[in-house]
Amino acid sequence: MSEIISDVIDRALEAYAALTELGEEIEDEWSYVNELSEAWRERLDEVAAERGQDRLSGEAGAAVDRAIAEVGLITDPHRAIDWLSTFPQVVLLATGGRP
Amino acid sequence: MRFQDAARDARAVVYAGIQADPQVARAAELLESATLAQRILARAVMNGETTDPDGWRGTFPGLFGDAATDPTERAHSESILAASLAVAERGEQVRSQVRGAIVEELAARLLARRVGPTGVRRERRILFDGVRAEIHPYDVTVERESAAEAYDCKWGARGINADVLYQLDDARTHAADEGEPLTVALVVFDAARSCVVRLAAQTAPHEGTAIVTLETLDELAERSA
Repeated sequence: MSEIISDVIDRALEAYAALTELGEEIEDEWSYVNELSEAWRERLDEVAAERGQDRLSGEAGAAVDRAIAEVGLITDPHRAIDWLSTFPQVVLLATGGRP
Repeated sequence: MRFQDAARDARAVVYAGIQADPQVARAAELLESATLAQRILARAVMNGETTDPDGWRGTFPGLFGDAATDPTERAHSESILAASLAVAERGEQVRSQVRGAIVEELAARLLARRVGPTGVRRERRILFDGVRAEIHPYDVTVERESAAEAYDCKWGARGINADVLYQLDDARTHAADEGEPLTVALVVFDAARSCVVRLAAQTAPHEGTAIVTLETLDELAERSA
């Protein structure tokens, strides 16, 4: 059964918060990590505000869940910082947004 | 202003081996004609933890799902996925080096479309009269009279730092002092939004340095950065 975009983005943002927390472990990059996270959260929030009630295909929702599972495997904070940029792009592609 | 090959020191020899890795040429060849979504796929897989191709196909339904109806594009996505997984399966240190070399090779290939392959050089230093030469060479240069270009390449926005920004800006200003135009740019295999955030925190001069991102890579083939 298809879901609305805002529900999928809510799940993605929850995973993104955990990824941000992991990236924060690199003390020298604390500010960058938080500014980067804020910038991409804003973009995801925009999509939720614009199209949040639109329904997604089942495969699009599953794609976001796979991306969430992928970042859930990360334990290296350096890798987490790489994904702070990549994860939102993957989510935006899956939900039909502009990365 | 003149260009010179970088010294063949130990770093250069090791890095030349990475650059000559067939996986680098294969990935760059595929990414040269890739869409933005396909480039994001490559970045995700090469950054990834898992190497299960079906998992990645499911993560990118626009490339592999019901909407991917063009068989040529789908085959291209499959090739990019395979090449990216081959890189991801390398050890962490090698993977990191290979990714960097892929961005350089990709930039060189795109530039060669515009200026021809003989106009594009790799690992070159730029020398100016009365100025101590930088030790670190530029990743890619376009060496044409009155239209030279120098590029440094990064896998991610986090690679943007003061050292590289100073080096590019110094080259540009020294060239201007000699009355030579020199276009300088950073090629970053990452999203513009991430690059903007990284640059905002940098105090090194970068107003004269172009930033080429995932979204604008193809412009290297179309016009000077």
